[in-house]
Amino acid sequence: MTFTTQSLLKYTILVTVCLLFITLAQAQTTISGIVTEKNGTPILGANIYLDGTYDGATSTIDGVYSFTTDEVGQQTLVVSFISFETFRITQDVSLYNNYMVVLKEDVNSLDTVVISAGSFEASDNSKVSVLKPLDVVTTASALGDFVGALQTLPGTTTVAEDGRLFVRGGDANETQIFIDGLRVFSPYTPTTANTPTRGRYSPFLFDGITFSTGGYSAEYGQALSSVLLLNTIDEPDQEKTEIALMTVGGGLGNTQKWDKSSVSVNASYINLAPYVALLPDRNEWDKPFESISGETVYRHKIGDGQLKAYAAFDTTNFKLNIEDINAPEGIDFGLKNNNFYSNLSYQAPLGNKWRLLTGGSYTYSNNKTDFDTTAIDSDETSIHVKAKLRKSFNSKFKLSVGAEQFFTDYGEQFDTSFANGKIGYDNNITALFTEADYVFSRKFAAKVGLRGSYSQLFNEVTVAPRVSLAYKTGKNSQLSLAYGDFYQQPQSEFLKYTQNLEAARAQHFIANYQYTANDRIFRAELFRKEYNNLVTFTGDMASFDSEYGTEGNGYAQGLDVFFRDNETFKFMDYWVSYSYLDSEREYRNYPTTATPNFANTHNLSVVAKYWIEDWKSQVGFSFQHGSGRSYTDPNLDGFLNQQTKAYNNLSVNWAYLLSEQMILYASVNNVTNFKNVNGYQYADTPNPMGNFDRRTLRPAADQFFFVGFFWTISEDGTDNQLDKL
Amino acid sequence: MKTIIYLCFAVFSITATAQSQYESGMKKAFDLWGENKMADASNLFERIATVEKENWIPVYYASQVNVLKSFGEKDQVVLTAQLEKALDFLNQAKSLTEDDNPYVKVLEAQYYTAWIAFDGMTYGMKYAGKVGTLYNEALALAPENPIVVLGKAEWDAGSARYFGKPMEPFCKDVQKALDLSENFEPEGAFYPRFIKERAVEFIETNCNK
Repeated sequence: MTFTTQSLLKYTILVTVCLLFITLAQAQTTISGIVTEKNGTPILGANIYLDGTYDGATSTIDGVYSFTTDEVGQQTLVVSFISFETFRITQDVSLYNNYMVVLKEDVNSLDTVVISAGSFEASDNSKVSVLKPLDVVTTASALGDFVGALQTLPGTTTVAEDGRLFVRGGDANETQIFIDGLRVFSPYTPTTANTPTRGRYSPFLFDGITFSTGGYSAEYGQALSSVLLLNTIDEPDQEKTEIALMTVGGGLGNTQKWDKSSVSVNASYINLAPYVALLPDRNEWDKPFESISGETVYRHKIGDGQLKAYAAFDTTNFKLNIEDINAPEGIDFGLKNNNFYSNLSYQAPLGNKWRLLTGGSYTYSNNKTDFDTTAIDSDETSIHVKAKLRKSFNSKFKLSVGAEQFFTDYGEQFDTSFANGKIGYDNNITALFTEADYVFSRKFAAKVGLRGSYSQLFNEVTVAPRVSLAYKTGKNSQLSLAYGDFYQQPQSEFLKYTQNLEAARAQHFIANYQYTANDRIFRAELFRKEYNNLVTFTGDMASFDSEYGTEGNGYAQGLDVFFRDNETFKFMDYWVSYSYLDSEREYRNYPTTATPNFANTHNLSVVAKYWIEDWKSQVGFSFQHGSGRSYTDPNLDGFLNQQTKAYNNLSVNWAYLLSEQMILYASVNNVTNFKNVNGYQYADTPNPMGNFDRRTLRPAADQFFFVGFFWTISEDGTDNQLDKL
Repeated sequence: MKTIIYLCFAVFSITATAQSQYESGMKKAFDLWGENKMADASNLFERIATVEKENWIPVYYASQVNVLKSFGEKDQVVLTAQLEKALDFLNQAKSLTEDDNPYVKVLEAQYYTAWIAFDGMTYGMKYAGKVGTLYNEALALAPENPIVVLGKAEWDAGSARYFGKPMEPFCKDVQKALDLSENFEPEGAFYPRFIKERAVEFIETNCNK
């Protein structure tokens, strides 16, 4: 082999290139420096490396890092650490010697301030969670009703015979309930006047409950005082069949899962006849309470999107003779209610950090009421359609915009001994809302929203601004402030007689302090609420010949305190709620400004649960105290001039795990048998002595006993219905 | 001709270096783990994962270190941050293995078990069903894998022990895992290993009859 000049040249070049390469490869560069927080505190354990290479190190206790690399030229240095934003920079590798890195705190991390004014969350993952989903069903006084569990939170008042949510001096109609963001138009089952109602929907279909007692998001309207947001479970964990046997009825549920979808079906039958036969209550029943209900949820994943369809039907009927001071024979009362609710929701990312949330709900409710000689057949069809877009511009700034439409068609056929006819109305409301969330730092965050609404019925536009701020005052404490305007249309009770009204308005002012440390949480909230444009009418009750107006007004102010502790005593979890309320209003047919009978001054709730390991049992009790409620004694001067005695209720429950899949549950409501008084009914006319006689309004039953057996059949045998109790 | 040979050699040696870099990196990470330097081990697995974009093994371990570190953690802020990180890697591992890897199923079960261990009252009811389902799925994918058999037996034994049920069926399962492990070879380099000591300990404490 001989070398030609040409090939020699070629060879030399090759060798030179190779040598150059090797030299470069061996020229190691040292990368070093210190990682600190903004305030100079060194960070221990940060991961520092050149992107796409194996070269890197972990910072020491002084924040110091150092490593060598064979890489040359432009390289990206990455520094990452839990709860800080990942730092990246691209420059020549030689510039990383003695390179200082300051990491910015990640505002999405758990210790960032959260806007907590007004709202209570029942969920596992929220930072402001005060109730856990399980609490709904393990609180002694709640009897498995989510509304009952919420009544142990501050801001609610004790109106024992009603069972609905009365929030901060507002009446029950001022609270609206939403499932997956869509309004539920008739959330409560009908009952008699002396028995509390329950929420229609079984709690185990929901895994997130947010209860806001004021100052809530611009996304929600048509609620003067409060919103309750229920979110259905995204994905059930396994296929199962659930059987419930109770002293008042039974239930059956089944869940099936497929690759991308799942369906849950749930049916229950309640009949109080055997219970009432055994333990008669104060009502004279012709047909004790009976209800059949069914629910189904279908969930389907489409790409990154999630579709949910929910439908619930229930039918209730009962008939009884109601005691009445003006009718010695009593008054016959019968009710048949059919209620259908369905909603369809879809949410999906749209790319570029936009997210779409959309859906609609449909409610049909029919009530057939017989009251003495009057028969009323009412139909209400309501539709709610909503679309919302949300964009995260970065970790600090989020914006959402949305539009929604409410439609209600109400009709009522009445038939009395002296008249009959048909009344009704159509109601359309269109609303637009937008809201911006800005996290200035881990210490300071703000939310600003605006909601505009147009009512076709009143040809009226309302604009409602809402603002909340939160500031972190210490490692575990924070302060929140909120202000908002809230509008709501009058109820069908008035709209069926006149549409010449306008929306009522409430203004909320809220200051909230919250302290959380591990498993203890303390909250205190001061509030003031001002009401305007409340409906007024003349006569004993709202009717055809009443004169209507919207000049009513009022206020509510007070202090709510909440303390929950799951840490001090082992196996023991307890919470205490106290509310002080001062409220007066002039509305409806009030002759003067007065404290309404649903707004009592002091409310106290104490709930405790204790887990007894050896007995595999959870025992719990809850105590509720409500100070006296106002009523009018016509024998004395004035309006709402008297107060009932205080309300007290001590309830206990016991849940025993027979095996992983079988639970025996028992509870007693009002175990000490307090004789509570809800109010008094006075005779229309005075007796011969010139005095008005009265009848004491008592609960249908002072006590309630419940025993249930719950059995879950699932593939792996570890699931049970503890969350259903 | 020679140029081609040189070129071939050069390409080969680069590949060889890359291979050994992965191996030495993984070895070093396991050494750090062995020395209980969890943060360093986790960081190294994370760095390896950023290079080996198609390999589920480094993200699997990056996730597992954070999961195992969380057992016994009492501070909710720290725990949540760690488990969020673990979940991030777990999701990467899931997307790389297309949902048919029994080890990733077992890891996911361990992830939920970490939440249950932190707060049984809150997460027990919520996640117990999920953990059970994951072990069932893993077992369906790899019925003869001792790691899966042992993991499932330990989980099932936990709740059975609580209800005072006999341990016998689980002793049988753990013994089966031990038997299977005799002929068990990990499918590849750095695949999860069967930890014999855990099985032996289980039998010693629960099955001494």
